Amino acid sequence: MNIKLIKSEFPIFRQKTPAGNDLIYLDSASSTQKPQSVIDSITEFYSSHYANTGRASYWPATQSTRQVEQVRKKVQEFIGTKSVSEVVFTSGTTDSINKLANSIFNSDLWKGKQIIVSEMEHHANLVPWQIAAERHGLELASIPVNDDGELDMAAYRQLLEKPTALVAITAISNVLGTLNDVNTICGLAKATGALTFVDAAQMAPYSGINVDHLCCDFLSFSGHKLYGPTGIGVLYGKEELLNHMPPLAFGGGMITEVDLDKSDFRDSPYRHEAGTLNIAGIIGLGAAIDFVMSIGIETIQSHEDELTHELLDRLSSIDGLKVLGAQERRGALVSFTIDDLHPHDLSTYLNESGICVRAGHHCAQPLMKKYQIPASTRVSFGVYNDLNDIDIFIHALKSTCQFFL
Amino acid sequence: MNDRLKSLYQRVILAKAKDERFVGELQDHTHSIKAYNPLCGDKYELQMIVEEGLVKSLKYRGSGCSISKASTAVLCENLNGKNQEEVLLEIQRFLELVDSDSDLEPDQITSDETLLAFAAAREFPERKSCADLSWKEVQKQFNQLFPNHSKE
Repeated sequence: MNIKLIKSEFPIFRQKTPAGNDLIYLDSASSTQKPQSVIDSITEFYSSHYANTGRASYWPATQSTRQVEQVRKKVQEFIGTKSVSEVVFTSGTTDSINKLANSIFNSDLWKGKQIIVSEMEHHANLVPWQIAAERHGLELASIPVNDDGELDMAAYRQLLEKPTALVAITAISNVLGTLNDVNTICGLAKATGALTFVDAAQMAPYSGINVDHLCCDFLSFSGHKLYGPTGIGVLYGKEELLNHMPPLAFGGGMITEVDLDKSDFRDSPYRHEAGTLNIAGIIGLGAAIDFVMSIGIETIQSHEDELTHELLDRLSSIDGLKVLGAQERRGALVSFTIDDLHPHDLSTYLNESGICVRAGHHCAQPLMKKYQIPASTRVSFGVYNDLNDIDIFIHALKSTCQFFL
Repeated sequence: MNDRLKSLYQRVILAKAKDERFVGELQDHTHSIKAYNPLCGDKYELQMIVEEGLVKSLKYRGSGCSISKASTAVLCENLNGKNQEEVLLEIQRFLELVDSDSDLEPDQITSDETLLAFAAAREFPERKSCADLSWKEVQKQFNQLFPNHSKE
């Protein structure tokens, strides 16, 4: 894999930061940079054949409609599912979870059962379930995280002894990097009759997605963490579930028959896609998937693994630095704290050298509380990072420590 | 970070962030103000003893970055012994100092070397909320806390 060549496809790296440095972007877990092909696909759509999708019979509407359905097919293949009906476009993972949580419990069937989440969830895969539980009379339980940063599976098995409506779990922790054993978690849930949702936001750009292997009922990921544009994401669901659950939203495009007092709805995916879609976003997502597939997701994963190992190795020589989580297997990110050095002071200082890292609670306050820290610093990798980025980062980190400590 | 700023940051902000004089609790405090920035997690509790409209004593505890910690320490230092009117004036002056949209140059606002260090926040707009967190919270709550105290 030729990193120089790949990096050259990302125009943002051609310029200097306002302070005159090269951009060392180490925050891909938050959002990835965009390759030229993704940017061009959006520009081309708006300049050459823009029109709303749907039933319009004129060109360019026919072309934009065809393109959207081509991307749906591309997503279907990317996540390893059988049918395009199982691919619903949303505005992102947060939107998917909100809509799913809002819609799925609209029946007395679920009352009194529990929703299981985990202590390591991003707020996006926690708060919507909290609110849904409150609204629909369900309980909320959570799987604890052990000191190594892994889910306590014995505690999970115990939780499952109570009637469970749904288990919502992240595939990769956005703070610890933990790779959860999603297949086992979903399998155990399924054996009790519970539904399963997987937050694959961090997983999509790291190892790709195979819904069959994950054994889940629902799953979501975002385009903007996969080198695609913001405002586009996918909710995957099993076809029979998507066709029978209440629509995620209501409006144009999702109905079969409307009277003033009642309406009937289409089958999935259109059943759940009310209103005009983010067409440019969908086209950009298609280009992003092409970009990832052209390199190969296994190639990306092993490249990022190499960077993560090198980073962990280099971090171990820094006094007072503690890495969050001691798990063997992790995604392409590392969070850490340094005694007496606040993450925001660190990130501001690093910014002066053109280095972008994330400081804060990473939208995972329960996890921060578990570790009894107000915040941490996170370094995460994308396909464009290389060992030189780590060198520059470690050098700047050492000089920050000298300055503050 | 340019050298001038670096030295100010180092001399004043790091020193004040490590200044423990105002860290702690006041057992007999009359008022408690909580300052919290949910975006970054900085969290402080300010306790004060206010008698006859005068701030007699202040302490703070909590956690945050060096800028928010130093700014809270300096707040305690500067509001100590002031009455309500003086407190609000002092806060206004500080907020102006860290505001990059202000028409005034920092040295037109104050000649106090310690306070001037916080004008560095003008160059780090993303850190302004660290510099003014406690000050804004005290300003917001002061009139509510002391509705009946005038400056007598």
